[in-house]
Amino acid sequence: MLTGQITSAVLGIVLAGAILFLVRRDHLHGPFAVWWFAVATATFVLGVFPQVVVWLGRETGIGYAPVLPIIIGLSLVLIRLLKLDIDRSKQERNMRRLTQKLAILEQELERLGGRPARDVDADDDAA
Amino acid sequence: MAHSETISLRAADCLAVIPARDEATTVIAVVEGVRRALGCRVLVVDDASTDDTVLKARAAGAETLRLPLGLGAWGATQTGIRYAHRNGFAGVITLDADGQHLPESLPALFEAQAGSRANVVIGTCVERLSRAKRIAWRYLRALTGLGLGDFTSGLRLYDRAAVEILAGPAASLLDYQDVGVLMLLAKNGLAITETPVPMLPRREGHSRVFASWPVVALYMLHTTVLCLAQLDSGRRRPPALAAGNSTC
Repeated sequence: MLTGQITSAVLGIVLAGAILFLVRRDHLHGPFAVWWFAVATATFVLGVFPQVVVWLGRETGIGYAPVLPIIIGLSLVLIRLLKLDIDRSKQERNMRRLTQKLAILEQELERLGGRPARDVDADDDAA
Repeated sequence: MAHSETISLRAADCLAVIPARDEATTVIAVVEGVRRALGCRVLVVDDASTDDTVLKARAAGAETLRLPLGLGAWGATQTGIRYAHRNGFAGVITLDADGQHLPESLPALFEAQAGSRANVVIGTCVERLSRAKRIAWRYLRALTGLGLGDFTSGLRLYDRAAVEILAGPAASLLDYQDVGVLMLLAKNGLAITETPVPMLPRREGHSRVFASWPVVALYMLHTTVLCLAQLDSGRRRPPALAAGNSTC
């Protein structure tokens, strides 16, 4: 029979290990890697040393300490989601502007003697 | 920003931008009409059409841009505005490709611009607005502080100052040539005016904004959020110089 501490330690280590593995394999890069590395460290520490949660609960005045990691976790997820939408908006803007620039440059290329846009459609589809 | 030195625009120095998606049946008449009425260069921006809108537009004497991905009406219009900005045009006049804007009424926008020295002139036909639109516009007038009769008319004349602002990245995330565009211009201190023009009912297709009730509801929700985020923009300066909308 597992004790609560072993369960939380196993969960923390597995999650931290999985994130570290992904960062090592270059599936997450730059600021994403830093963020997830911090999450991996936190899961590991809180999983192996659950008394940290009790201490944190006492320090912050929260009566039922186990709820603290849930609150912090949810807040971080919300921040992450917000950041994701900000990034998506930025990408959408870039994509729209690149599409517009592509159309303008294609026309200029054609004016300079390039093949008309219609003829190069087959290349685009192949790509 | 000081935009007080607006000059009156000459049609020949401007570019007519016509965003078009699958408008092969009407685009020839529209392009020929604009060239006849204004004598300016005409650019048709093809918003990823599946028919031969581009070939028809070229045959009618227009320059064409082909967007490889559909960016919507405003995305296509902005492409034309960026083209005008890049090529040093003095202004841009935009109109729809479906033939609802009469070419003969286009010079009226230039006259209104010369008379008011506004940076933006919107051609509106208030009598043609449906009841739903009238209610929507009354709501938007109150929300934005812009004293305009029609917020989505695609018939507009922009001067160089407006073109410069609208060609920039700040206008790239907008979806329609409507409230968002006007708020952005008002925020930068540009003067916007309206002039009444006659319009025909759409020959083909239908309004992209007022397509169905759920679409309208979503549009109004988006616009409301946009307006609330920019609540001060429309009220920053006297927004409309002379909004004449009596005859049509």
